[in-house]
Amino acid sequence: MAKKSELLPGTLDMLILKTLTRAPLHGYGIAQSIKRLSDDVLTVEEGSLYPALQRLLLQGWVKAEWKKTETNRRARYYTLTPDGRKQLGEELSSFEQVIAAIGRVLQDA
Amino acid sequence: MHSLSRFLRRLRLFVRRENFNREMEEEMAFHKEETEKEFRADGMDACDARHAANCQFGNETRLRDESRETVAFWFESFLTDCRYAMRQFMKASGFTLTIVVTLALGIGATTAIFTLVYATLLRSLPYPQADRVVHIEDARLQGQSTAGLVGMGRFFDIRARSKSFASLGFFYFDHTTLIAGNHLPVAMKAIGASAGFWNILGVQPMLGRTFNEQDDMPNAPGAVVLSYGTWQQIFDGDPGVIGKQVTLDQKAATVVGVMPQGFNMPNGIDLWQPAQRDAADLWSKNRGENTRFINVYGRLKPGVSLQAAQNDLHTIGEQLRREYPATDAGWQFSSESLRDDLYGELRPALVVLLIASGFLLLIACVNVANLLLSRATSREREVALRRALGASEARIRLQFLIESTMLALFGGCAGLAATFALVRTVAAKLPGRLGAPGTIAMNWPVVWFAVVLAVGVGIVFGITPAIRNRQIDLNTSLKRGEARLSVPTGAGVRGAFISVQVGLSVVLLIGASLLAESFWNLLKSPLGFQPDHLLTFSIDLPWNTDEARVRNFYAEIQRRIAALPGAQSVGQISTLPIVDWHLRGNFDADWLPRSPKRDTVNVEERSFAWDYLAAMGTPLLAGRTFTEQDATADLAPVIVNQQFVRQYFPGGNPSGRHLISDNSYIGTVEIVGVIGNVRGTAGSIASKAGPEVYFPLDGHSVMRSFVVRSHVPPEQMMNAIREQVHQVDPRQAIANVRSMDDLLDKAVAQPRLNMAIVVSFAVVALLLACVGIYGVVAYAVAQRTQEIGVRMALGATRGQISRHFIRRALTSAMFGLFAGTVCALLLTRLLRSQLYGVTPDDPVIYLGSIALLLVPVVLATLRPALIAASVDPVEALRAE
Repeated sequence: MAKKSELLPGTLDMLILKTLTRAPLHGYGIAQSIKRLSDDVLTVEEGSLYPALQRLLLQGWVKAEWKKTETNRRARYYTLTPDGRKQLGEELSSFEQVIAAIGRVLQDA
Repeated sequence: MHSLSRFLRRLRLFVRRENFNREMEEEMAFHKEETEKEFRADGMDACDARHAANCQFGNETRLRDESRETVAFWFESFLTDCRYAMRQFMKASGFTLTIVVTLALGIGATTAIFTLVYATLLRSLPYPQADRVVHIEDARLQGQSTAGLVGMGRFFDIRARSKSFASLGFFYFDHTTLIAGNHLPVAMKAIGASAGFWNILGVQPMLGRTFNEQDDMPNAPGAVVLSYGTWQQIFDGDPGVIGKQVTLDQKAATVVGVMPQGFNMPNGIDLWQPAQRDAADLWSKNRGENTRFINVYGRLKPGVSLQAAQNDLHTIGEQLRREYPATDAGWQFSSESLRDDLYGELRPALVVLLIASGFLLLIACVNVANLLLSRATSREREVALRRALGASEARIRLQFLIESTMLALFGGCAGLAATFALVRTVAAKLPGRLGAPGTIAMNWPVVWFAVVLAVGVGIVFGITPAIRNRQIDLNTSLKRGEARLSVPTGAGVRGAFISVQVGLSVVLLIGASLLAESFWNLLKSPLGFQPDHLLTFSIDLPWNTDEARVRNFYAEIQRRIAALPGAQSVGQISTLPIVDWHLRGNFDADWLPRSPKRDTVNVEERSFAWDYLAAMGTPLLAGRTFTEQDATADLAPVIVNQQFVRQYFPGGNPSGRHLISDNSYIGTVEIVGVIGNVRGTAGSIASKAGPEVYFPLDGHSVMRSFVVRSHVPPEQMMNAIREQVHQVDPRQAIANVRSMDDLLDKAVAQPRLNMAIVVSFAVVALLLACVGIYGVVAYAVAQRTQEIGVRMALGATRGQISRHFIRRALTSAMFGLFAGTVCALLLTRLLRSQLYGVTPDDPVIYLGSIALLLVPVVLATLRPALIAASVDPVEALRAE
């Protein structure tokens, strides 16, 4: 099994929000999507995913509704709200600042 | 705005919690199915795929919990725990009830005593800046003082010279007769006070005003301030009472004020009137020993400490010693805070009661700890199961903590309710100052005390089993049921429990026995008089009544009462024994050398007349008693008591010897007789009899107490006596009507209360200890039934099995007994001031208490030990 990288702390919410910008997804879909897009480097543990989703719901950044999947199975789909989109923007810009800062430090060393 | 919508979302999830749980469950099932599908697509078989999906998903319960915690209110898990705890309590209701009752006893007892401690030693007294008020006492450098009373002359000296006090005032006790409107005359407990008295206390009257400097001028028109009780009883609470004219001791006075209900300074007073004394008064010029009758108080100037005031007083005392060597040489001033003045005497008793209640609480706690420990042991499986199902360690620890805190709070509430009921019913009946209205009451500090105590106890209990549970190995706990042949877990702790309980009980028992013995001694040692069938009352004529009238009035009343049917003998005395009254005098004796340094003879002075000795039943040991002619004799005769002879004329009969008073009014007197010692002449029946000199009552003795020995119950005489007094003088009331038995009963009320409390604590403690010890041994037997079976199968006899358990328990008990006895030896010193006729290390009391303790302890051990012996080895082994 490929060695999985730990998520940077505080980035899970951002990844989930980003994943949902494309289309509404269910929890399993979000986990799969993050895994696929990161070429299996990032794995989202179920143990953190679902509490995180509840946190986002509570903040009003995502909405949840029950829908049928392609296989005709009931699943809870999460959709990004305008508030969530704004939040994602803020998180991205602060994240980029941090990355750039880390980059500068590493370059300098 | 944002936080509001978040709150609303949280609230919606809270209301629809069932729905939330169902949705979480479905979502997770879906996730797992999808994962399983994925594994199967990778080529796993159905079974492996499900297993792998489950493994990857982890503990679903914990996951769901975490999701829920994200959205839940902080108190939800707390509520869940509380609900779970309640279910546990319901399931084991007997266990719960035992714990709650035990804790209620411990917490209730401690809280009840705390109510007393708070009211007397902790709360701020109900006067503005009460800590600035000091009581100034006059004390003899050597020998017996006059209970701190100050002479008028010395008071005016302090007032003229001291720089430490913003105001100084005094009061003295007085008995007056009040006639209001067309009411019958009523005897009043009155206070004569200087105007400064009111400035010191700073209490505002409820109606009208208190008296001021003008009222307090000599020969000013009479003014009177009523107590709330007097206002209610005599004036029916009439709000227009201010300005009403009344007759006080046959002189007119105006009601100027009414004090609020809680004002009891000093305790039990009906009215206050201005003293109207000035520095030039006869009483202040005469500095002799028998002029001390005022209680002096002062309010410290801002910034002056109690110590500075004390130094100031000390300097004044020194000056006076130099200036008046004849009268003031042996005296110095001392001062104490108002709290010490009011409640200082109670402090040692309260400390003892607080310690005793603390011990009771500890014993209760040990019992509860023991029960909780047993229960924790039997709940090991439950805990292991919950851990296996995903409960975190912290969560389980919290659960135990919540359970024990809830139990303790239930116990605390029950204890608090009991204290509340107790305060409501008995507060007003407490002896002395404790019973003064508004003194003992339930209030928030008491409630907080109980709550904090309960929570503290709960947390300590919660932590102990919680820590224990951490060491449990999940695997073996779940598989429990294997034979256990080792000593059961916690045996050491349980042994220590027995030791602690026995130790604490023995201390309480010894303390209780000492107090009970003291109380018994107090009641049973000879009083020096016969209290049964003795009626007492007092009559007080106005202090300026003409001498001949005083003599005739009292002679007439004496004659009439003696003639009443049922009256056996009647006598009169200036003040009864057991009444807190002090009057001392100094004498030279014609048989003793004069000492310039100290008074030759210093005695308590009383006067009596007629058949006083016969009525009281006090024996005349030598010489004669007074006759009617003695009141007017040239060389006044006096009678001394046995202690006087022992101290000043050892081994002889002083009859015919002379005493020379330092008071020119008394002059030289001749001793004509010796009477037996009477306990409590100067108030406390617990104090040793001192030397006393008795004068014949004369025309100056306006204030007298009567003793009437009767063939019939004393109460039956009362109406006839009232009638006779009314016939002699309709303006005169009689006061303090009491049988001597009642007076005695009141005098021992405080020691009786202390004893009753400590004895009841000791009994409850002993009971709890026995229950606890029984529990420990019975639990050990139950836990080791299989082991007993094995031992028996291997040849142990029943006797050996019982002896094994008894030995274990009694070893712990003996250890506790020893430690407890040592503790008792150290702690009972605190009791010394409250003991009478017994020393704090009396070996008989110690041995008796230990024996008293051992009987129930051995019985409590014996029963479960015998049960152990009756175990059927076949049954015990089969149960495996």
